[in-house]
Amino acid sequence: MSIVVSDLTVRYGEKVVLNDISLEISNAKWTCLVGPNGAGKTTFLKVLLGMAPYSGSIQDNGIEVFKSQNRNVAFVPQHPQIPPGMTVAEYVMLGRSKKDGWGNESLASRSYVHKVLTETNLFGMQDNLVAQLSGGEMQRALIARALAQEPDLILLDEPTSALDLHHQISVLNNIELLKEDGVTVISTMHDLTLAAMFAERLVVLKAGKILLAGDSDIVIHSSELKKAYDNRIDVYTLDSGRPVIVASKFSR
Amino acid sequence: MTTSTEHGAIARIWNWQITAFCALILFVVAIAAVSFGPISINFLKVFKTLFDLPGGSSGMNRTVILELRLPRVILGILVGAALATSGAVYQTVFHNPLADPYLLGAASGAGLGATIAITSTHHNLAGALPIFAFVGGVLAVLTSFFISGKFFADPNSLLLSGIAVGSFATAIQTYLQQRHSTALRPVYSWILGDLTNASWSVVAWSAIYIAIALVILFSVAKQLDGLMLSDEEAYSLGINPKRLRITAVAAATLATATAVSASGLIGFVGIVVPHLVRGLTHRVTNRSLITIAMAGAAFLVLADLGARTLLSPAELPIGVITAFVGAPFFLFVLRNRRKVLQ
Repeated sequence: MSIVVSDLTVRYGEKVVLNDISLEISNAKWTCLVGPNGAGKTTFLKVLLGMAPYSGSIQDNGIEVFKSQNRNVAFVPQHPQIPPGMTVAEYVMLGRSKKDGWGNESLASRSYVHKVLTETNLFGMQDNLVAQLSGGEMQRALIARALAQEPDLILLDEPTSALDLHHQISVLNNIELLKEDGVTVISTMHDLTLAAMFAERLVVLKAGKILLAGDSDIVIHSSELKKAYDNRIDVYTLDSGRPVIVASKFSR
Repeated sequence: MTTSTEHGAIARIWNWQITAFCALILFVVAIAAVSFGPISINFLKVFKTLFDLPGGSSGMNRTVILELRLPRVILGILVGAALATSGAVYQTVFHNPLADPYLLGAASGAGLGATIAITSTHHNLAGALPIFAFVGGVLAVLTSFFISGKFFADPNSLLLSGIAVGSFATAIQTYLQQRHSTALRPVYSWILGDLTNASWSVVAWSAIYIAIALVILFSVAKQLDGLMLSDEEAYSLGINPKRLRITAVAAATLATATAVSASGLIGFVGIVVPHLVRGLTHRVTNRSLITIAMAGAAFLVLADLGARTLLSPAELPIGVITAFVGAPFFLFVLRNRRKVLQ
């Protein structure tokens, strides 16, 4: 089973944001959408969530996603809204709302939230207000809330953009663990090196179209990836075999 | 505050002590408000009269209690609860700690409606003023919705169109007011707000609308947690954010328009009370809506008591009292905005 996207087109008014996209996304794998700003990555995540209208079809394990709230999808935005007056524990507990009903918390949920707080290194901060967290802590709180949801599919929009390198790796490791429980991960990421390191599959988008989709190690060395960035990136391979992608020095 | 130990509650869902405290305060304030006035009546006698126990007042005192003061106190309770709850809901929905229930043009629209009633009828239709004010308030908010176009795709666009509609209504109102100089005084006194029009019939119709609005707001209060997140996050947690936002704002507007048409423009209750309760409970605003409603009711009844007694036998507009307490508090909130926002 998988997510099957066929002939997907998304328009904002006259503007075509995603143009005739067809793609298959495997379950329990990490798929990363890469491409320059304005390629349509975030819009792709929003239609996968089922909230934004589109033409064509997106079947998530047989369910057409638009306005279907029978799926259990967690969404981690790039710019979260910070609720005033809410503690970290309460914030993470929101992830259980669909299971327990809004405003309720079961004993099972309490111990689950406890476990998630420990996994994301937030234990000890549970009574702090989310508004007082640093960027890295807030990102972990977001991931913790998504984990608390016990989702089948998790959508992450630039999960590491606000983080230093140490926290980037720690957040990405948290996400990677999800796959062991059969969770499908779809993310956008600007850092191509990290994307190639963690995601099994890369989808290269440019101006609303897919240039290439495939296994990370193939896509990362492809000419389409360079083309997406107007040939302004260089790909190096370390002795360990790991690819490193950097911006080319701009030549006049 | 509880901590999230293994078996401890996490969400601080109910803080019954503070709710009970507010209920008690409201009860005491209400009895006091019925007792005090140009004619003071013994506290115990008031209690006995209200509950129809032996030894209650009779004759004129009984009329003062049951026909003059009681409807006024009950109207104060309704209006205070409506304004405070609506304010709290607006603050949650618009992610803005300084949002008040008049934000979307309800006040200016109601002001325009009231001015039309006062100017065009030469006081012959004074009884219809609440209807004019109610229709004006609701129409202004509907216009804001319509102009914002996206129907709540974006709370900020609604806020901005509310400000535009409010200014437009105020401009027409000022024009009408200037054309009919005799209307200046009644319009002005209506704008400052008072509960002097309280009668059992006003109490009855406002109770119906405010009760409907409050029941809706209390029933969606817990889900309002989701509206504090982005729409995508709320949706992923099983909420339809647009529908919930429309429901919450529509109910809050119904309560506000009713309160405004019954008592004029009473400012600051919608801002002061939610922040005060949040300061006491340390809880997310929408999880204390019932407490906020009771605190708002007590605050307004107390303010009205001040309005009636400070210059007795003359009366101060109640808006003067709420603003006298509210304005410094508002500045305090602004000064500590960082703390309040968190």
